[in-house]
Amino acid sequence: MAEVERVSYRVGDTVILDDVSLSFASNRFNVILGPNGAGKSTLLKIATGLLEPTAGTVRYGERAVSEYAAPALARKRAVLSQRVELAFPLDVEDVVLMGRYPHYGRTPSKRDREIVSRALDIVGMTARRRQRYTTLSGGEQQKVQLARVLAQIWNYDEPREPKYLFLDEPTTSLDVHYQLHLLDVARGLLGYECTVIAILHDIAMALQYGDAFFIMDRGRLAYETRDAAAIPVELVERVFRVRASRVVDPSDGQGLWRFML
Amino acid sequence: MLRRLTYGQSYALLAIVLAAALVASAAIGAFSFTPERMLRYLGEGIGLLPSMAADDLGRNVFLKLRLPRVLVAGLTGAVLGVSGTLMQGLFRNPIVEPGLVGTSAGAALGAAIIFVFGESTALSFATPLGSLAVPVAAFAVSFAATMIVYRLSTSFGKVNVFTLLLAGIAINAVCAAGTGFLSYVARDPQARNITFWNLGTFTTADWRGVELIGLFFVICFVWSLRYGKALNALMLGESEAASLGVNPDRLILQLIVVNTIMVAVATAMVGVIAFVGLVIPHVLRMLKSSDYDFLLPASALFGAITMEVIDLAARVIIPPAELPIGIITAVIGAPVFLWILLRQTRSGSVGFYG
Repeated sequence: MAEVERVSYRVGDTVILDDVSLSFASNRFNVILGPNGAGKSTLLKIATGLLEPTAGTVRYGERAVSEYAAPALARKRAVLSQRVELAFPLDVEDVVLMGRYPHYGRTPSKRDREIVSRALDIVGMTARRRQRYTTLSGGEQQKVQLARVLAQIWNYDEPREPKYLFLDEPTTSLDVHYQLHLLDVARGLLGYECTVIAILHDIAMALQYGDAFFIMDRGRLAYETRDAAAIPVELVERVFRVRASRVVDPSDGQGLWRFML
Repeated sequence: MLRRLTYGQSYALLAIVLAAALVASAAIGAFSFTPERMLRYLGEGIGLLPSMAADDLGRNVFLKLRLPRVLVAGLTGAVLGVSGTLMQGLFRNPIVEPGLVGTSAGAALGAAIIFVFGESTALSFATPLGSLAVPVAAFAVSFAATMIVYRLSTSFGKVNVFTLLLAGIAINAVCAAGTGFLSYVARDPQARNITFWNLGTFTTADWRGVELIGLFFVICFVWSLRYGKALNALMLGESEAASLGVNPDRLILQLIVVNTIMVAVATAMVGVIAFVGLVIPHVLRMLKSSDYDFLLPASALFGAITMEVIDLAARVIIPPAELPIGIITAVIGAPVFLWILLRQTRSGSVGFYG
């Protein structure tokens, strides 16, 4: 279980996060929603242990994130962000192998290599493994990055231990096929003792894929629920400063959102 | 060419070429030596063979001038090659090299300060440091210059090429002005030394230079081999590297330290040689791979090969005179630099070799 306990973050006099406490649902798809500047990214950075909060703590299970040494933390959680571009050309499998860096010293083991090819298989990029990363399309590059984080927190084999995957707007600039593919692969991790924590900008997609929802507004947690249908329309309108309506898709009873200014 | 070889096979190939280049560079020059003569001198030098008194001149030229010069050239090339690789990895940019980001110019300024003031009372603290005063001063100024350029060119974990170029120009100008001022106030032999040495020269190479550059190169090179993975991870950007367990701030500081030590010692001995650090990693990337675990050893070998060839050219192009090394490297390196810069600008500064 990942928990955020009374976390605040200030830069000078500006309060970016104000005493936020929440606990992410284990082995579920957690979504952080909120308008620009609500503090989502800062919250995610603090939750990953990459940014030290001004006050408060983050725990994975019993252990505070600040107690982890950097390589141990890198084996516990991985972060996938927006499009990553490489300044130099590397082969696709060399990029995925980076996910194994926290696991080996000078040379990768046979198992590291095996995990790399299985990760490439899961994202459907095996055929491109010897191609240069820089020649791939944006969507394919993101698939490779996804394979890299899968390899980093590889949990498909026994014995498993709780792992965390953080997604920081990973679908931005992807077309709808790649967006759905990425979220599907991420959801696939939930059965392997992995908790997914994501910032998603597309509210409709977030509500479709998420299991637990945390709505941030001006540095505070404004609302949390595990039931997408329970989210009040007025709250969404107020937080995102739009007019919103929710209709039900007759084919499967799912809620669909429309937004207007 | 190297694409199908394993890393080990590539190193072996480069090592064979390096051995050939060393022999050629040692044999050819104002004095030419046959391989048998060089072997005999070597044997005499380490006391395996009795010295032949009749051949004193040849032996002295070979053992006291040619051999140390060839070794200093090779070591300097290795230093510059590895340094270029480290700097390009750190700045995540193929146009970077020690001459661009202020490392060389800073080292030159630091060394010039000791050249000019080292004997005077004002800097008598330099005396206890003895002959290490020059490399130490070179390191101090060089480190400060590189650090300033890195900090100025990086914002939010990304390196901005244009700020990088501008910061490099500014820092290089300040250092060059300092060096220029020093050679202006210096008395004649010192001033002439600075001018020569600003263009890079191996004519003053001796066994002390071999020992100093060799010692610091080996230490720094072995040390830098630990950073292969971290430099690869840094290709993804500072925050991605951090989530892979790399501490970018510490990495950057360590890289600049290890790089500056090597470059400062070499620069203090042979002067400023630009563009070698730029071209070496670039060629190796095109021939083989951008994997830093490969680039670091390969750039040492390839840097040494390149410098042997350049030094040989410097000695044979206009005999009996010698061209300063810096002139040759600039004539070859500057067009390559412009070509890389153009390609990079056209491809939108990323996905460079794509």
